[in-house]
Amino acid sequence: MTTNTFVAGDGFLYRMDPRAKIMAMLLVCVFLFLGITLEGLYATVVLLILVGSVNTGIQHTGRTFKSILPMLIFMVLFMPFNVRGGESLISIGSFTLITREGALQAARLGGRFIGITYACTLLFATTPMTDVMLGLRWYRLPYKASLVVTLAFTYIPFIADSFIQITESHRLREGGDLEKKRSVFKRLKDLLPTLTSALVVALRSIPYLAMSLEQRGFGRKEKRTSYHSLDSYRHTFTDFLISFTIPIVLWLIFKA
Amino acid sequence: MNYPTKGTQDPCLDIRNLSFTYQSWKKEKNSPVLAGLDLRLEHKSKTLLLAPFDRGKSTLARIISGLCPKYLPGALEGSVHICGKDLANTEPWELLLDCGYVSQNPQEQFVALSVEDEIAFPLEALGLTRVEIARRVDSALVNWGLDDLRTSSQQELSGGERKRVLLAVQQAIHPHFWVLDESFDDLDRSWREYLTTLIREGEGTTLVLASRYLEQFEDLFDQFALLDEGKIRFGEKAEILHSFSILCGDELPNPLNDQKILIQDEHTLVCSSLLTVRIRISTLEAKPFKLSVPSFTITSGDLVTLVGPNGSGKSTFSRLLCGLDEPKEGTFTLDGEEMNQRELNRSVGYLFQNPDLQIFLPTVREELSWSLKRRKDLNDRQVDAMVCECATLFGLDLEETPSTMSYPLRKALQAAVYYLLDRPFYILDELDNALTYSVALSIIALLRRNGAGILLITHDRKFARLVSETTYAIEAGILERA
Repeated sequence: MTTNTFVAGDGFLYRMDPRAKIMAMLLVCVFLFLGITLEGLYATVVLLILVGSVNTGIQHTGRTFKSILPMLIFMVLFMPFNVRGGESLISIGSFTLITREGALQAARLGGRFIGITYACTLLFATTPMTDVMLGLRWYRLPYKASLVVTLAFTYIPFIADSFIQITESHRLREGGDLEKKRSVFKRLKDLLPTLTSALVVALRSIPYLAMSLEQRGFGRKEKRTSYHSLDSYRHTFTDFLISFTIPIVLWLIFKA
Repeated sequence: MNYPTKGTQDPCLDIRNLSFTYQSWKKEKNSPVLAGLDLRLEHKSKTLLLAPFDRGKSTLARIISGLCPKYLPGALEGSVHICGKDLANTEPWELLLDCGYVSQNPQEQFVALSVEDEIAFPLEALGLTRVEIARRVDSALVNWGLDDLRTSSQQELSGGERKRVLLAVQQAIHPHFWVLDESFDDLDRSWREYLTTLIREGEGTTLVLASRYLEQFEDLFDQFALLDEGKIRFGEKAEILHSFSILCGDELPNPLNDQKILIQDEHTLVCSSLLTVRIRISTLEAKPFKLSVPSFTITSGDLVTLVGPNGSGKSTFSRLLCGLDEPKEGTFTLDGEEMNQRELNRSVGYLFQNPDLQIFLPTVREELSWSLKRRKDLNDRQVDAMVCECATLFGLDLEETPSTMSYPLRKALQAAVYYLLDRPFYILDELDNALTYSVALSIIALLRRNGAGILLITHDRKFARLVSETTYAIEAGILERA
């Protein structure tokens, strides 16, 4: 009922202390919302994608982008229409369709969205979830809260997995003759029952997850111990230094 | 661990006058699944509880584990005590050391993201030291042949490997009382034998719930019971097996013997020089999984079985054969013409091991009519007629909600969905799990009656012999005729 986000590898991010990586992820996310230039924003996004490709491989990086693409298109297409004021870029007669400010805002929003996605992916793809949890607990987050955070980040891919399985199932259940290429409208229409089914599967699995957690002892009064530890990470200080330095340097270079 | 001895104190399990009715989501009230059931198991007893499907086996197992009615709502009457604890006042986590439950459907019990973490999770909850957890995790991994899969996530495991993980979890916790719901299913012969040894030599109490009498059960249990009409009846082994056999319809003739099939167009599906390679993304240490199929042929009306150990690649081959995955090398031809993935999708129906991955809609009617409604050559009346006929054939209630149906009924629904698709070939991935032979054979006969070629994947040799004498086997990554 949960899907692993970890992709085995031996890049430098895999050796970095999870506590420092959590800090770096948070600082990068904050940095993306500071007053920085658009060029700076996209340079950071490119840097994140490059770091991701080096550590988890180009294929994984590409898959991540593909997974957010529909939402990204939706945001970039509809955002400019919401901003009415400013210099007109495209207009039909006297009606302004897209303004320069709207286009810039859409570009900024898209950049932030890609940036946050890759920052999170870099953490969760290069760190086993147990280590993320230990890292969160090191920051004094209670066990239950850490579990909720890690479950949430594994539950989202589970919904994506369910979606793929349902798509496969539906593909095997297609009736009639082979159709030629389906129109975009038909494809979108076909997507609806699959999406609904994926959500139903996800919702249906919640009580089973809760049931299994309790059955495995979640809720017991004993002080919970941990099978894993973060002792194997040897350069904690250096890793923290890097985590603080990089976002600060980026901010100094790209501040508006 | 010190277990209480027989007859010295409270029994291990004491159920009195237990009745249970699932909450109904419709206007009509559900009929009770269990009605006035009594069951008393002494410490160290080993009991086989047989029941055909849909008689409340899994419901009973979940009630004993404290999960029902807490998570599966319904009206419960009577009392259940485990090792003296009244379940009415006990939470599931308090039973961790008393009662270990292995579910029929392994997917619903996974909580962690890797095999070793799955085993470690309850040990952490018990507050054991890291050294002790590591010792128990290592031991369970080695015992269940999972050491190479230590860091694998459950998505990377086969059905049998998942079952082994859940059994390894119980071995690591070491509870007094094991409740095993169809736990022998999904396991290949060697792991069934290991589980048999574990039960035989174990000092705890074991309750095995099963819908088939397997050869591994011989001389394993000291008590035999039958669950029927909501009640449990103990008896002598021979008498219980006889009654069970009648209930399961084992004495009925095998519908596949002398079955007359209507082959309208004869087809031959051939796979040549297939090779597929899969890399485990959760570890760098494991070797890539490889499966090679030099040649495989199936013709309309054929009944072929495929056997192989857990994780050998049976499901991988099935996914290639039905066009869900693309092989690295090799070709598929139907009647001499090369097939692409999409054409294979329409020619080979694949009934997944887990029916829940193939049924999603709110009612049986909607599930059965989903594919038919997309066909332009059928009008609504024809669709309705086909759906009704199919539901009758497979014993399904059209207005029933699939998610609340029993696991075997969900399997029957999955088969019914494919029956309506009328594919020339079907792959049945462990169809016999949790079904009686009679029901499984009837489903195969129905799917085959229009001349479909059937490839059956099973771990049960007795069942395989009932179905076919043509067997393919996977050994050391190569699929060949046995």
